Order: sequence, then C-alpha cells, then structure tokens
Amino acid sequence: MPRPGIDRRTFLAGTAGVFGLGIGGIGLLEACGSTSSVASVSPSPRPPLAQEPGALSILEWGGYEAGGTKAQTSGLQAGTTYTTKYGANGITYTYITNDDQALQKATSAGPFDLMHPCNENTKDYVDRGLVQPWDTSLLPSFSQLNPGLVKAGQVNGKQYMIPWDWGYGSLLYRTDKIDAADATGWELAWNSKYSGKISLWNGASTNFEIAALKLGFPHMDNLSSDQLSQAKAALIQQKPLNKLYWDSEYNQEQPNFQSGTVWVTYAWQDSLVSMTQAGLKAAFLDPSQGRLSWFCGFMLGAKTQNYYHAHEYVESFINHDACAQMTNLFYYGTSNTTVQPSEIKDQTLAAALDLGNPQAITSGKNHLQSWAPNRSALELAWQEVTAS
Amino acid sequence: MVTLRLRVGRGVFIVPPLVVVLLVLIGPVILLSLYSLNLRTNIPFAPTGLSYDNWQDFLRGPGNPFRNRFVYSMEFTLVVSIATTVAAYPLAYYLAFHARRFRYTLLLLLIVPFFTSYLLRVVAWSDVMLNENGVVNQVLWAIGVQPRGVGVGWLLYSNFSIFLVLFYSWIPFVALPIFAVLENMDRSLIEAARDLGAGPLGAFARVTFPLSLPGVISAFVFVLIPTTGEFITPLYVGGPYNQLFGNEIQAFFGNSPNWNYGAVLAISLIAVVLVLTLLFGRFLNTDLREGVATA
Repeated sequence: MPRPGIDRRTFLAGTAGVFGLGIGGIGLLEACGSTSSVASVSPSPRPPLAQEPGALSILEWGGYEAGGTKAQTSGLQAGTTYTTKYGANGITYTYITNDDQALQKATSAGPFDLMHPCNENTKDYVDRGLVQPWDTSLLPSFSQLNPGLVKAGQVNGKQYMIPWDWGYGSLLYRTDKIDAADATGWELAWNSKYSGKISLWNGASTNFEIAALKLGFPHMDNLSSDQLSQAKAALIQQKPLNKLYWDSEYNQEQPNFQSGTVWVTYAWQDSLVSMTQAGLKAAFLDPSQGRLSWFCGFMLGAKTQNYYHAHEYVESFINHDACAQMTNLFYYGTSNTTVQPSEIKDQTLAAALDLGNPQAITSGKNHLQSWAPNRSALELAWQEVTAS
Repeated sequence: MVTLRLRVGRGVFIVPPLVVVLLVLIGPVILLSLYSLNLRTNIPFAPTGLSYDNWQDFLRGPGNPFRNRFVYSMEFTLVVSIATTVAAYPLAYYLAFHARRFRYTLLLLLIVPFFTSYLLRVVAWSDVMLNENGVVNQVLWAIGVQPRGVGVGWLLYSNFSIFLVLFYSWIPFVALPIFAVLENMDRSLIEAARDLGAGPLGAFARVTFPLSLPGVISAFVFVLIPTTGEFITPLYVGGPYNQLFGNEIQAFFGNSPNWNYGAVLAISLIAVVLVLTLLFGRFLNTDLREGVATA
C-alpha cells in the first residue's frame, strides 16, 4: 500500500525541478543587480517635468542632503529652493563613505537619478555607462561656474559633471597634544610618538596617495608596480599606529577627534571648522609635500526618469545663495564664481584655505586627486593592508 | 486516487518555501561561485573567463593576508563561543533551578535589551560606554583607578571591545537552549543520585551536566556559526588589527570592490559554516524524552 505523502523519488524529482527553477531564478537575481547591462542615453523626446515621477533617488555623502528634507541635519540649505517648490518627501538618499564604494554602489545599487562623485572617478562613471551628459541650458547658474572645473567635468567634450564643491584633504591634529616640530609633513602619520592616537581614512586610493607623497613619488595617482609595493609597505608600517581606520566622518572621525580618542586624523577642512567650533585646539596640516585637493559634482543617471527634476535639483545647489551658504558652513570652496571672498564670514580661515582662488586646488603644493589607471590593483593592495 | 491527492497536496505545501530557499539562498551561492571563478564580474565591460587565480592565491599564496585573517577569525570565534557558553551555563542553571517562580520574569529581563536594534546596541557600546569620555572611563576616573582625562587605551577599538560586545550580544541566546534543557530535565534523576550518596557537585558532574550537554552544544553552535561571519561589531568597535574575516568580505563587496576575490572568501566561509553545521547538527536537539536526546 503506498504511503500517503511524498516518497523519496517524488521528492527528489520535485526538488530537481524546483532547483532548475532556482537556476532560472538567478537570471531574475542578476536582473535585480545587473552590472553588465548598460543603459544608453534615452533619446528625446522626454516627458515634460510635470509628467515625471519626481521622486529623486540620489547617491550622496552624509551631510549634503537638500535643505528641507528630514535627512538634512548638518545645516546645509542648498536644495531648499527645489524642496520648497516640489516637496521633499519623495527624495531618497543612498549614502556613501568613500569614492571606491560610491562607484560600486552606482554600478550595482542603482539606478540613481543623481550621483555626487568626485573628480577622480568621472571617467569611470562614463565608461561604465552609468551617467549621461547634462543639458547645461537647463541650468541658469551654469554660466557662473568656474570654467576650469567645468572643463574638468567634461568627457569627450560632453558635460558629464556639474562641479559644485572643492577642498583639501590633510591631517587634522590637536595643537595642544602634538609638538609643532612634528607637524611638518605627512610623516606625522608615521610618527610612533603618537601611536594609538592616529586615524587614517578607510579610503584605498587616498591612503596610497598619502603614502606616495610621503615617499616622494612624483605621480601619486599613477604608481608603477614597484611604487605601489613600496606604498603598500609604508601603509603596513603605519598601520600599528592607527587607533582605527575611520569610515564615517560624522560618526567616527569627528567624534573620536572631539573625545580625544584620536589626536591626528585624516580629514577635510570642514572638520577643522567643526572641531575649532567645539572648542578644541586644532590645526589643518600644511604638509611640506603638499595637501591633497579634490572637487566633486553632480552626475546625471543614465536611466533617470526625472531628467528635468534632476536639473532643477542641481540648479538649487549651484546657485549663488546655496553656494555661499555651503562655503560658510563647511568652508569648502564653491564652483560658483559669483561667491565673493567678502561673503565668507571667517576671512582669516578663508585666506588660510585660499577659498577666493578659483585655481586653488591645482596651485602651489596642492595635489589634485585624479583618475588612477591601476585602480583595481590599488584597491586589492589596500585590502591586503587592512588584512595584514 | 486518495493516495495521489494526498501526495500532491503535501507536495504543494513544500514547493513555495523550497522555491524561496532556492531563490534567496542557493541562487546567490551559485552566483557567488560564478564570481569566484571569474565567470562574472562586478565591473562592466571587464573581461571574464574561467580562472582559478583568486582561489589559488587565497588557498596557496605564500603569506596570503586573507587566509591569515581567516585563521585569526576562526580562533577568535572559538574563544568567544567557548567563553559565552561557559558564562551562560551558571545563568541558565540559576534560572532553571533557583529562580523558581521568578525565572520567566528574569528571563524576560535578560532579553529586554534585545528589543532594540543590534546596530544601535553596538553603537551604544562604542559611543556611550567605551569611548574616551564614555561611561566606563568616567567611572574609572571617579574612583581614582585611572588619571582623570586619560582613557584606558584598550577599552575601544581592540580585541577586548569586540569580545565584550559579542559576549554581551550572544549571552541571552546562549543561555536559552541551556535553560530549556535544564528546565525540562527529569529532577528525579538528580534526587536519585543524591539518594545514592552523591554530593551536590557529584550529582551535577554525573547527572545534571551530562544531561544538559545537548543544550550546551546547541548553545555553542548558536554562537559559533553566526560569529564566523560577524562584521558589524568589529566594524564599529574594532581597531585596524581586530577586523574579522567577515569585514574582509564586506570590504571586497563595498569599499574596495573586487567581487571576484570577495566571492572566494565568501564561498570559503560558507563551506566552513556548512561543515560546522554538519558536525554539530546532530546535537541540535534539546528534547530530552527517552530515545530522542542525541548526546
């Protein structure tokens, strides 16, 4: 008498069938996070703004959310004109903590309507088909932008990046804890006197740039295989001095510096402003080898269904008032050249950071972070440093 | 006809969860395998083709840092699992044998912190308890153990902080299966041991503990398996040298994207977890009815 239920053979046959379904399901899974399908720029005509969904999906750094959104807590007012006009509820932000992660998220976690990467990755975004060129005629403030940065945001003559913010990367240090004689160059991060009180960023390319500058390599973003090995060895040598490699500026870097857990940290200049406002005696190192410098901007998603909304959103960031407020908040430079040095509240700090100089990031000893042809090798090398 | 109906009926019940398991569990593992063999890549337009290079580098590369990190992580996981299980036993014993009518209230109190998010609890340890100006250092300053303003260096971003947070996180889950076994234990066996002349320690060593072993092993496995892939706690409270293997995998899929190499590490970890599950699976039974207990 056959037993009720499933016998072994039936079960195995059924399982095999369903397993086949699972294999087929991989296609579905792949479709969810496809990395190899590249969208081409959708040809005109596009639906007018009123017919767009309007719920912008944005890949962004923490602190840069549009004014008027619930996520915005840093005090930034840029974007307020957009959220006032169209509302803020539909905007969603996906956060990034470093450039390599940003590129990966743009590739596999999208599609996004807008992204906010930095200069060194522009080519990668274009090469991977993640972005499309802007229609600069839809951006009234575009003509006010720094021509040098605008030019640098072009690939194959097309405007893929709308530059917005620029600044420096260096070591922020406690002047009451660090001897002035030790604060002369990037070697401060290698000074064993401050072992356990140092914190570098968990940013692969940046740390190799720092090591390259310390080692005196002339092209920090185009290291030969031998130079890469030397830089890796230098970072492994530096590793024991670190308290941690920080990931989040607002959740790790600044709180640890403020609490005294860390006395020397890789930082951008907004941390100098925050920490001095918090009453700490801090300085932003001017290394003998030069600071790192950067500029970032907005890129338009290749698959966006919010083409006109995205332009309006970006216009609400690059206009004069938004840029002036951003500079006075973070003390980053702005791409909008109509923002005059006289509008910056702390003139001393503005002068120290050369914020009135449109060519600041490429002048003097500053090293503009640029596209690295051997990015994959560099990222693997950084992983080996962290695992060593 | 009746048999056929029953057969089809029961089969139908199995199919949906089986489909879900295959889609969300087996499917990704197959995908990972493809990545690990370079048959797929996360970088658009990058060349693909069968390659064992990453596997060879991980398994045989001289001084491979990821393999070393793997060994380190397994050792750390073992220490955490043993320590948590050993510490949870007296807790479970007290609840089962001495707390009497308060035992379920106490058990609830033990679990209450776990009504909040795991991530929030980890951040609370990092930002509120262990940091330079945190509660622990403040107490040490107040009682004069540590000079005021000077925090204990190893409290945070160290092996100690990872161990402490994992220990805290797992202990209720570890205590539960031990408690369940002890609670269901036939007390007359202990009474018989005492009647036959065994002292309290002797009765514990010869009766109570051996009978509670299924729960102890279950508890050990409950910590061991999830801790092998742990990455949140080391990420928030670990220093540069304390990151676990899970952090390396996470970084390969995020911060330093190289999904092909990351997949090799992930598959290796899955294999280890599978082996552990097979090894300990037979003990994952806390039913002490005669003939059912397996240890």
